[in-house]
Amino acid sequence: MDVVIASSSIDGGIGCWDLQTGAEQLRYKTCASPPHGLVSVGRRFLASSQLRDPSATSGHVLYWSWSKPQAEVKSFPAEPIKPLAADSEGSYIVGGGSSGDIYLWEVATGRLLKKWHAHYRAVTCLVFSEDNSLVISGSDDGCVRVWSLFLIFDDVRRQQASHLYEYSFTEHTLCVTDIIMGYGGGSAIIVSASEDRTCKVWSLSRGRLLRNIVFPSIIDAIALDPGEHVFYAGSRDGKIYIAALNAESSPSNSYGLHIIGSLSDHSKAVTCLAYSTERNLLLSGSEDGMVRVWDVKTQNIIRMFRHAKESNAQGFSR
Amino acid sequence: MVRSKAPSKKQQKKGIDFKKIKRKLGRKLPPPTNATNTEIKSKAIVLPEQSVATNKEGLAVSKKGLTLKELLQQTSHHNAKVRRDALMGIKDLVLKHPAELRLHRYAVIEKLRERISDDDKVVREALYQLFKSEIFPGCAEDNQGLFISLVMTYIFNAMTNLSIDIRLMAFRFFDLVVQYHPPCFSLYAEKILQSYEDILRKNQFYLEDKGKLKSTLYGLVRCLSLLPSKKPGCQKNILGERKIHAFEPDLPTENTGFSVIIKKLKELVLVLINCFQDFIPLLNSMPQLDAQSFDCILSILQSIDIAVRFFIYGNHEESPEANPLQVTWDQTLLSGLSKKLLGVFPLYPKHHLSVKEDDRYFILNIVITEIFLHLREWICPSANVFAKFLEFMENALLGKTCSSTRSGKATWEKHVPSLLPFIPKLVSEVTTDWQSHLLEAFTKTFRDCNPESSLKLACLSMIEEMLIPRGDMHYTEASDPVALDYQTIWIRELPLLLILLGDKWPSSSQVVLHLLLRLGQFACWNSSLIWEYENTQFALCEFYSTCREGNIYYGPFMRLPRDSQELSICCLYYFSNFSTLLLKAITSCCLCPELEPYVLFRIIEVVHAAYKAGHIQFADHISFFITLLSRFKVYPENICPVKESDVQISNCGTFKSLTCMVCSCLSQMGDSSVVFRILEKAILDLISLKPQLDNACAMLRVLIMLDSKPTRLSEQSIIALSNFLPGYLMDVVHCIPEVDGNEVAVSNHVQTCRYYLLPCFFLFDRSNQLVKLFLNVMGSSLTDSSLSLESHNSTQYVTDSLSRMNITVSLLLLIYKDVKVQKIMSLFRTEIGSIMQSIASLQVWFCSVNFSSMKSPYLCKQNLKYV
Repeated sequence: MDVVIASSSIDGGIGCWDLQTGAEQLRYKTCASPPHGLVSVGRRFLASSQLRDPSATSGHVLYWSWSKPQAEVKSFPAEPIKPLAADSEGSYIVGGGSSGDIYLWEVATGRLLKKWHAHYRAVTCLVFSEDNSLVISGSDDGCVRVWSLFLIFDDVRRQQASHLYEYSFTEHTLCVTDIIMGYGGGSAIIVSASEDRTCKVWSLSRGRLLRNIVFPSIIDAIALDPGEHVFYAGSRDGKIYIAALNAESSPSNSYGLHIIGSLSDHSKAVTCLAYSTERNLLLSGSEDGMVRVWDVKTQNIIRMFRHAKESNAQGFSR
Repeated sequence: MVRSKAPSKKQQKKGIDFKKIKRKLGRKLPPPTNATNTEIKSKAIVLPEQSVATNKEGLAVSKKGLTLKELLQQTSHHNAKVRRDALMGIKDLVLKHPAELRLHRYAVIEKLRERISDDDKVVREALYQLFKSEIFPGCAEDNQGLFISLVMTYIFNAMTNLSIDIRLMAFRFFDLVVQYHPPCFSLYAEKILQSYEDILRKNQFYLEDKGKLKSTLYGLVRCLSLLPSKKPGCQKNILGERKIHAFEPDLPTENTGFSVIIKKLKELVLVLINCFQDFIPLLNSMPQLDAQSFDCILSILQSIDIAVRFFIYGNHEESPEANPLQVTWDQTLLSGLSKKLLGVFPLYPKHHLSVKEDDRYFILNIVITEIFLHLREWICPSANVFAKFLEFMENALLGKTCSSTRSGKATWEKHVPSLLPFIPKLVSEVTTDWQSHLLEAFTKTFRDCNPESSLKLACLSMIEEMLIPRGDMHYTEASDPVALDYQTIWIRELPLLLILLGDKWPSSSQVVLHLLLRLGQFACWNSSLIWEYENTQFALCEFYSTCREGNIYYGPFMRLPRDSQELSICCLYYFSNFSTLLLKAITSCCLCPELEPYVLFRIIEVVHAAYKAGHIQFADHISFFITLLSRFKVYPENICPVKESDVQISNCGTFKSLTCMVCSCLSQMGDSSVVFRILEKAILDLISLKPQLDNACAMLRVLIMLDSKPTRLSEQSIIALSNFLPGYLMDVVHCIPEVDGNEVAVSNHVQTCRYYLLPCFFLFDRSNQLVKLFLNVMGSSLTDSSLSLESHNSTQYVTDSLSRMNITVSLLLLIYKDVKVQKIMSLFRTEIGSIMQSIASLQVWFCSVNFSSMKSPYLCKQNLKYV
């Protein structure tokens, strides 16, 4: 069963719906998470970092099993954690702290395995690569960095290396809002979105910028088409722009270079996007609290879920 | 036939005259008199075609009427003058008929290359000029490999010629080839270096003829500068690519294949050092350093510098040795370099004759210093030598060693940047004493140089290197106290520099802004630096705008190109404590009508993001928005239903999107009821000042966006609103002139009105009390006017009240067009009734005085009845 999960920054719990039938499942209680703060760990359980008062010194992460609405486990990391990510098997969880540190926990034991200083400012998003060997992090200082877990765990090489990261991309001028990674392991592409109104496409193998796309508004969420022909960019003006990666785009169109078109439902700002590869559906969460399911071929909405006043994170599981 | 006839005749004639003819045996008969001479004699006549006479129509010819073929033939003429003329002719012909060269380029080059080792100097020179001006530029675009290889064999041949002149000329030819086809050096590198080495070894000639040596050395410098000594820049143009996953051929880069020449190059460096050493006594004996010797020495030093850089930084991956640096530095080379070259440092003029000489020595010393600084780690200099160089550096940075004339200053600005890249590393390695000396000198350089000069840019990039940690995250919080002082100075200098640059040097401003942005992004690691960065905002205010005695003076920000503006806006995000002063300065920029809408929206976006990140106080942020809405000047003042795309005529569209944006930002700021409570008073105060129509509308829109149904407005605000709304609505009707005519215009008019009326409708919908009060105020104003009409009799007053009545009527009509509002109004029959009453009574009065514009009241009456 494919389910859609959504949480929001205002306490509305975690909404959970069956994607096929549209039936609402269990609603998991007490969850107010920041963007990228909700994750399903190996499709076995849910984890979500919690928003804290600015004065709070420790973080707060809650864990739910699929069957119970109440949080089963709580943990309190050393500092407020915003983004969370888990590898595909669900054996590790990484979290990004507000001081720029990245934490790596082992799920089986709950131990903190590694912690390293990754950025000069707060970490805003984290992604695992397909083969779980790389972690890509984006930060408030506009920096996107690629970390190899092999190096992180290799104490000898770590001592010798002048820097821990594999690549550090500093071309963004403002806070990075979302990162996705393409397919193809070491030669994949990385797409990052930022508050500077641009999305940038990077080559992982060559470590350089491949493309810079300027949007009419700030992009908060991106999702990749499985064929990597295009990517979808959810913007603050409520539209989902379609930007060309490998597709042809005419040099003159209304939105700008490389932007092919847009999906629009006159909603409020789009806060998150996800792509269901099995069903070829695009899911978008918006600030008005709705989760919309798009058929990308016809560009129509085929389903809508009402979550809360505001929704901001979602994923697929089971 | 003739012979056989003759005897028979004799027989017949015997009888006539018996004359006996004696015949001698063995003798030939004399030929008969009537014999025909059958011999054919011929002689060949050679008539050479005359060139003047031939028909050359349609062929490309030179000025002298010669075709390319003829000219090429003449190039191998035994007379030097003819050869030269032929070359001139080719040049002439190619100039006139460029297609001719393209067609026959291989034939041309095959013939012409023979002349590279021509014995005659003039011919070679003519050939050089021909190559330089016509042939190489003409054949630049096509397959150069073949072309070059055709020439190169002959050049190499000439390089080994016995005559020194021909050899020198060959180097010039080679230089020319390299200019047009740089990869050719890497193909023949070893051979070329060998040739250079050979010619430089023959040093008996060059002390006499420095001009020729100079041009040879120039060529060497050019060749060596093709050696890879830095990482190749990988920044390609990214905009042009159409596909991300497109195939890219794996071409070998130009840098491959250089590692084999290391050995050759080392030998060459030794020869160059010897050359340099030969010049030293000459310098001492000569009264003055003349231009040619200076150029020679400079080229020698530059060549050594490039070679040294190649040894140290070049990519020697292909060399079989594991660590090339170990192998590269054999002792002879190192000792040669340090004794013969670095030992004579510093060079100084013996006689102090001219200022120009000082500058020349300064340049030479700078290059030697560069070589030293590259080599520093490998030769392990003694403290004494090291101090000598450091002292020179300090003096150079301070500008002491240079003459103070204008040209001296220019030389200084041109050559000091080459020393700067060493400073960050030096500073981190030398003793504290030297560290402060160097930093002091560097800071002075940075301060003193022209803001737009390349030296300033070089300084800025060094500052970036020293301020912003590169890569390694193993940082220590405690940074050098000495360095910190200077870092503080640099950061403080940046905003001032930005203001000084103004809008005249946008590229320099861009660099400064970029540095500021990087600083904001990465300065967190050092608490004192971030503190300094925070403080730049006070100086930056002037960059945006300043307010003096009520007048606003816009800073350079307004006139910079858009990408610089964007960079400076991005800098704002990283101030963790946004000062009110800066926010004020930015607000007045936002309110400037010349600001592009795009930049305005970017500012709002970034300021809001900064607020979200907790960098701006809540009150400041709110007042930023309110100020924008209340003070934004919409032009033209009269609203006419223009299309929103006409930016030239009106910025009404911009203001509408601005209102939209502010509304959505405010709705994101938290619980709307709380925000509403905070904003209510402020907005009502502003509204009561009767702002422009658009501003009032924007503020009403903010109110209704935050409000809910039923209204959260306090009693007091409702009363205030009920006093304000009638005037506002009348203004709307008054300012938007009604149109007669086609449907499009009418519907356009209704649309425009609706934009302004809609907030009021929402208010009416949410509070019945407001409707009641509003209708009361309307009614009473009408009654007042009808009462006072009887006492006043001035025409002006009458016209006013008449128009007021008309407006009221059309307003009511507009209100009644909306179905929902109509429903609400139906709840207040009494109030509406009293208004109708006053209108009716006014009408009666107008009828009684038989006022000229009777028509319109009647019309109104008709319409109202319909209502």
